[in-house]
Amino acid sequence: MDSVRRNKLAIFLFILPALILFASIIILPIFMSGYYSLLKWDGITKGTFIGFSNYLELFTSKSAGFQRTFINAFLLAFLSVFIQLPISLGLALLLSKGVKGEGFFVSVFFVPVLISTVVIGQLWMKIYNPEYGIINVTLRAIGLSKWAKPWLGTQETALGAVFVPILWQYVGYHMLLMYAGIKSISNDYREAAKIDGATEWQIARHIIIPMIKPVLKISVIFAVTGSLKAFDLIYVLTNGGPAHASEVPSTLMVDMIFGRNRYGFGSSIAIFIIFLCFFFAIGIQKAFKTEVE
Amino acid sequence: MMEKGKNITHSSKDYPFYYLLEPSIIKLSNKFLRGKLKMSKKLVSSLLCVVMAASIFVGCGKQANQPNQGETPGTEGNTSTQGANLTLWSIATESDAFHSAYTRAIADFEEANAGVKVKHETFENQSYKTKIKSAVAANELPDIFFTWGGGFSRPFIDAGKVLPLDDYFAPYQGQISDAALSNVMYDGKLYGSTFTTPLSAIFYNKKLFDDNGIKVPTNWDEFIAACKTLKDNGITPIGISAKDTWVIAMTHDNLVLKSAGPEKVNAALTKSGQSYNDADFINASAKLRELIDMGAFPEGAAGLSNDEASAMFYNGTAAMYTTGSWMAGSIQTDPENPEDFDVYPFPAVGGNGKATDLMGGATDSFMVNAATPNKDIAAKAAFEITKGISKYAYLDGAGIAAWQVDYDDSPVPELTKKVAELASTATSFTIWYDTLMEAEDAGEYLTLLQELYMGNISPEDFAKGMDNQLSK
Repeated sequence: MDSVRRNKLAIFLFILPALILFASIIILPIFMSGYYSLLKWDGITKGTFIGFSNYLELFTSKSAGFQRTFINAFLLAFLSVFIQLPISLGLALLLSKGVKGEGFFVSVFFVPVLISTVVIGQLWMKIYNPEYGIINVTLRAIGLSKWAKPWLGTQETALGAVFVPILWQYVGYHMLLMYAGIKSISNDYREAAKIDGATEWQIARHIIIPMIKPVLKISVIFAVTGSLKAFDLIYVLTNGGPAHASEVPSTLMVDMIFGRNRYGFGSSIAIFIIFLCFFFAIGIQKAFKTEVE
Repeated sequence: MMEKGKNITHSSKDYPFYYLLEPSIIKLSNKFLRGKLKMSKKLVSSLLCVVMAASIFVGCGKQANQPNQGETPGTEGNTSTQGANLTLWSIATESDAFHSAYTRAIADFEEANAGVKVKHETFENQSYKTKIKSAVAANELPDIFFTWGGGFSRPFIDAGKVLPLDDYFAPYQGQISDAALSNVMYDGKLYGSTFTTPLSAIFYNKKLFDDNGIKVPTNWDEFIAACKTLKDNGITPIGISAKDTWVIAMTHDNLVLKSAGPEKVNAALTKSGQSYNDADFINASAKLRELIDMGAFPEGAAGLSNDEASAMFYNGTAAMYTTGSWMAGSIQTDPENPEDFDVYPFPAVGGNGKATDLMGGATDSFMVNAATPNKDIAAKAAFEITKGISKYAYLDGAGIAAWQVDYDDSPVPELTKKVAELASTATSFTIWYDTLMEAEDAGEYLTLLQELYMGNISPEDFAKGMDNQLSK
């Protein structure tokens, strides 16, 4: 076997199928989008090369509304990291301590990840419905009818209203990652700490969390990049509206490409999302590394 | 990779990896056969995997090439109508109101043309828009395809992917009006055929109107008064969805048309020397604001989808709904008491508009692939099938017939007949603005409209924004 590993040709052959798939499905389209983003192109007829004008419009045009989507995406990333992940971590810590019905709770929290996002969208649309939605019905029932709002229909609340299900949906996902990480830590550490008189909080803070740092890193990367490319739930719930209030880069991209036939401009948004995701993925890796040292 | 797969025959020597593999297989397997038999088994099976993976690629390459071969214009298919297999793409999925009309029309056509088979493939509306665009770009259009007339198909025509049908139209002259075909005429040539002439009007709940002593409004002041009465009696006057922007567009399109008149609208939206920043256009947007400010629309309409909003209309929470004639079909099935519902034309708003200037016109069209090998029969099918759908859909109450009604139409639902009457008294048709305009302008129109609805911009800003977009 070793001799096969040293055989350059064999190595080349073995990685070739995966390499070709990877290159043709991921790498090549990125470069093609990069090229399209330099065109003024309607997707059908021949495009004209316009250099970086699309990018210029991206950052300067007010009517395209890209800045707004940019801020929204960052807000979502921030909320994911500072609200969603702590909740996941808390749940993972609690469950891994050996609560009664541990397996049951793990499954329950993971259910939203398993359900189709469109179904979740429909579900929350009903929850938010101004007429019969559970939120407004409850508010009216307890005499707070002046707080009842068309949640998805006003510009002030739409963004918050779409963020809640997004954050909620993936709590279970991150919890499962962290839970698995915690479970892989040998119980000896915990017992040793207990003998030394450490409280539960101290064990979590000084033993468990440092030991699952690699998992936390992955979770943070997923949370941030996932927020930057968030699409499905927003598309179902508000489609970016009302009046761009809940628009994120990917919904704007879809609107530009399929709504307005602006493939070039849409591609420049796509490239920008890819760039941001890479940038943050690498940045977070670096940040965690320096902290370890 | 794919390129190499092009000339594949069934000889193993033609695997693209063959020459790469050969020396290594021999070298490696020889090595292992001398003692490490176990290993070599693994290795050989792994190599087999590679070969299989390679064959998958080859398979892909081959498949991808097939449609191309089928589509090369090839021999002039003038006489070879017998045994032709036509493929038709449409959005008439099984849940679509037109589905059964399609099926019956295709069956009729197949019966009348022995040996011709039509393969009908259906796709969901929204995804079809994407599919058809990419099919045009990739030269993978079927023989006949459903599309929308006006601005939507303009790029297909410009790219030369659609067959002009003038030469095939002669037998059908007089059976369908020129007005119905106006949206599939490009640069004076006919490029498609159509089956239904939808138009937009105000559907209303007769019972709610009677209960509140309201007469059908015939002008704008009466319309506003009716809204006020309904509002005072705790009924939402008009159902609307501002989330599905085409629904507000239905109302706003009408307001603009009935304020500026068809000539001005056409000139402004097709960039033919009329500025959008004009008193009539501003007046129309101001009228929409007037309705919003008086509370004529349901609270939170910006978060409601068309389905949710029309459900409010069907269950009697809202008294009116401005939308396309297809609602006449839905009313037969969705509300509990279909007989409570009726329809009237959108009133004139002043300026140059008349109540009989209607929004609508035929855009749902069949076009024929310019590269089809069976031009004659495909063109014939496009006309014959649309004619059949026109008939069956009208009888079902699903749509207003675009072709002459030369059959007994007594089974048509009352409401649909009423809409058809409106259509017959129309002095002009103007197609929905998001179809009339080019896609980019239409996108801006819908975006600005939502801003106007939310009160972020004034009617004046709206007109300025549209003027900017249209003079780009």
